[in-house]
Amino acid sequence: MKKFSQLAIPYIIWAVIMLVLPMALIAFYSITQPGNSIFSFSVTLEHYVTFFTDPDFLKILWRSLWIAVKTTIICLLLGYPAAYFISRCEEGLQSKLILCITIPMWINMLVRTYAWIGLLTEGGLLQRIVSLFMPGEKELLYTEGAVLLGMVYNFLPFMILQINTSLCKMDGALLEAGSDLGANPMQTFARVTLPLSLPGVVNGITLVFLPAVSSFFIPKLLGGGQYFLIGNMIENQFITVGEWNFGSAVSMIMAFIMMLLMAVVRKLENRNQGGQEEKNL
Amino acid sequence: MKKGRRPIGKILMAFIIAFFYLPIIYMIVFSFNDGRSLTSFTGFSLRWYKRMLESRTMMEALYTTFSVALIATLVSTAAGTISAIGLSKSNKVLRNIMEQVDNLPMMNPEIVTAIGFMLLFITFRVDKGYLTMLLAHIAFCIPYVILSVMPKIRSLDPNIADAAMDLGATPWQAMTKVIIPQIAPGIVAGALIAFTMSVDDFIISYFATGGGVKNLSMVVYTMSKRVNPSINAASTLMVVIITFVLVLVNIIPVVAAKRKTSDEIKKRKVFVPVAAVVAAAAVLVLCLRAGGGSKERPFEGQTLHIYTWGEYTGENIIGDFEEATGAKVILETFDSNEQMYIKVANGESFDILVPSDYMIQRLIMEGYLQKLDASKISGLDNLTASVKNLPYDPGNEYSVPYFWGTVGIVYDTTKVDIADLEREGFNIFLDEKYRGDIYLYDSERDSFMMALKALGYSMNTEDESELQEAYDWLVKCVQTMEPEIVTDEIIDNMAQGRKALGLIYSGDATYVMSENEDMGFYLPQTGTNIWSDAMVIPANAKNPALAHAFINYACDYEGAYDNSSYVGYTSANEEVMEVLSGEGGEFEGIDAYIPRTDNDMDEVFEYNEKTRKTISNLWSRVKIAASNAD
Repeated sequence: MKKFSQLAIPYIIWAVIMLVLPMALIAFYSITQPGNSIFSFSVTLEHYVTFFTDPDFLKILWRSLWIAVKTTIICLLLGYPAAYFISRCEEGLQSKLILCITIPMWINMLVRTYAWIGLLTEGGLLQRIVSLFMPGEKELLYTEGAVLLGMVYNFLPFMILQINTSLCKMDGALLEAGSDLGANPMQTFARVTLPLSLPGVVNGITLVFLPAVSSFFIPKLLGGGQYFLIGNMIENQFITVGEWNFGSAVSMIMAFIMMLLMAVVRKLENRNQGGQEEKNL
Repeated sequence: MKKGRRPIGKILMAFIIAFFYLPIIYMIVFSFNDGRSLTSFTGFSLRWYKRMLESRTMMEALYTTFSVALIATLVSTAAGTISAIGLSKSNKVLRNIMEQVDNLPMMNPEIVTAIGFMLLFITFRVDKGYLTMLLAHIAFCIPYVILSVMPKIRSLDPNIADAAMDLGATPWQAMTKVIIPQIAPGIVAGALIAFTMSVDDFIISYFATGGGVKNLSMVVYTMSKRVNPSINAASTLMVVIITFVLVLVNIIPVVAAKRKTSDEIKKRKVFVPVAAVVAAAAVLVLCLRAGGGSKERPFEGQTLHIYTWGEYTGENIIGDFEEATGAKVILETFDSNEQMYIKVANGESFDILVPSDYMIQRLIMEGYLQKLDASKISGLDNLTASVKNLPYDPGNEYSVPYFWGTVGIVYDTTKVDIADLEREGFNIFLDEKYRGDIYLYDSERDSFMMALKALGYSMNTEDESELQEAYDWLVKCVQTMEPEIVTDEIIDNMAQGRKALGLIYSGDATYVMSENEDMGFYLPQTGTNIWSDAMVIPANAKNPALAHAFINYACDYEGAYDNSSYVGYTSANEEVMEVLSGEGGEFEGIDAYIPRTDNDMDEVFEYNEKTRKTISNLWSRVKIAASNAD
């Protein structure tokens, strides 16, 4: 048996170098000054102070979080009914629909986002249709709406698939039991289906919210150069401005906020699950 | 269950599927468009496919995408499976710690992981390129493989391996004959996830790669500023390949099920999809690899690494140069001098750079360039006097001019009153009459030049209060005028007449005016920036001899003509400039092509470390203010 456990040793070394060390480096850069090396450096919290004392930076952080929240809500509102519909279809159709939703996910995200430019740009198909109904609306591309659309488009499949998985795992007998015990369909849904699909919802929210907050090419392609989210700010610091220390600090702040939010979501889920089991008893 | 009911559900489902496929179909349709437009279909043609197949950047990107995905999938699947087996037999504490570590790339925002890799490679001086991309891909794929294999191992009877060994199997046999077949579905799922993640990846590759190596996503990202239907063609090709593989994966088991007895399928079902994916990818990689061939010439087999602006070389010059010398050119492009500087300062090695005046001055000051070998440079005499011996490099010891020009205002003559322009100059960008109808250019230097010139100051001012005033001018502009801040997007958009006004480089204006005769180009009397971009050889160039050869090639009539006629920027070669702007020339009658040389208010940028930092920070703040304005 011991022999097998040795198989993990190369990976542990690899993981320390390729997964842990990079994070340590970001943390290191975020608390040092430009020009410092790993051998001689002085610690500073200046970059964090700069970020948190500047209303403009905070506004960008706020906007990134807010647009991610909006994306998540829209994905949930569209994704849940869609997932529910799929789970109620017969099996053959079900797997075909799942395939339909999976295929676009296999196509490069950037390519799919790029494809929207042609539709949204002035004179593009969608822009012309919209301007038929709203003659005043000239601009679709390079607006916040376009960014939101791009995000929903890219992340909605994750939501549908996650919720669908948890709906399909559900024991059909529970539903029958519900209606046998006198619940109407609405009640069955609210008391049985919804709570049982919650793990899928939580996974879906995670998979949508996380990439939405940090996305930088969707805002860049569909929002234009004057639309900044926190991801663009990080890219800008590393690629154009060259202030790696400040960029690292912003990255750390973002990673920390994400971890915090995820921890809160998991906590809520666990509590809910706990409550559920008690009721089931 | 209940047929014919839930119409709302059906409508929603139809809507969602339409939503998912609309852009994909639109893209496929326009990949066959005869014209360049992404909005009006003018006829069926395969020219963009031809263009794609001829484009080395695209073919190499496809090769990189699939070869990296293939290797990363194979390595990470093998390594992930072995590690998962190992971890499952390790003690609990270690297992929990490793679970947390594995979570890092999955729970962290992708851009953070990407920056981590970038800092890792730079800190340990690993040259960023194909290898670093591969390493990064393997690193983020393994955790997914482990994640999908682990549950299968957990559900395995822990004594099964012992049992096999008690019966005389070696540990190797126990693993390959007993454990692996049992967990095969998990391995296959892991491999598929790894392959998808790798093919799809943009963010990590973008930060962890360098040296001109690009995957398809990176090509799309850098090319997306100009309308380029070959991107649609390449994307369509990807869609076809992926749909084919997916359908294969889904159909083969079904077909197999009909033929074989149910017992046999169980085993096959798992391996067939993987085999199909691997085979398809391998064939593709081989096909793409087979593209190159070679003959015998002076620089045969050598590599020239050029780092220049996007869309800055002629259609044929690279191919012709390769043909003539036998060398292979790797062309990498940047959006701004600042972006280029960061890479050079990080020690990345190039043979030729094409930066602008003030940046050349900075690179010389900081010791990043080598002096040219005057005996090997032949083309200097062909160049026009206005671009030689400029203050940034007197005597042209380090640099040979490539393109030059001015920065002015491109305007739609049908929407803008020329009297407004003459009266207001750059202040027209504060004229509320044109609110929502303007483009600014995302360049810190030129934006500040515009503001300083509008205020009547020198663009090389070191006066903090003048810079502050210019900053206030720009903030006022972004807050009241609703401008769009773009880079090369301005070219196609102005050619389409989408906005009334924009700040533009004279060379881009030349292209816009040759495409759309309603467009005009105006240079304010208060002066502007006379810029020039020149070829230089970095101190750490690997092949200076070949670099000299290319500099000569680009200075000569043929090369310079190809560059200038295709790109639209003013050639530093005097004869080319005269021919192109003269009678019957490509740019006859387009005033933007000939830079103004008779205004005393015009200036050339000088480098100053202190103002550079100020301007860089302030411009970043202007963009943030623009972003926060709406």
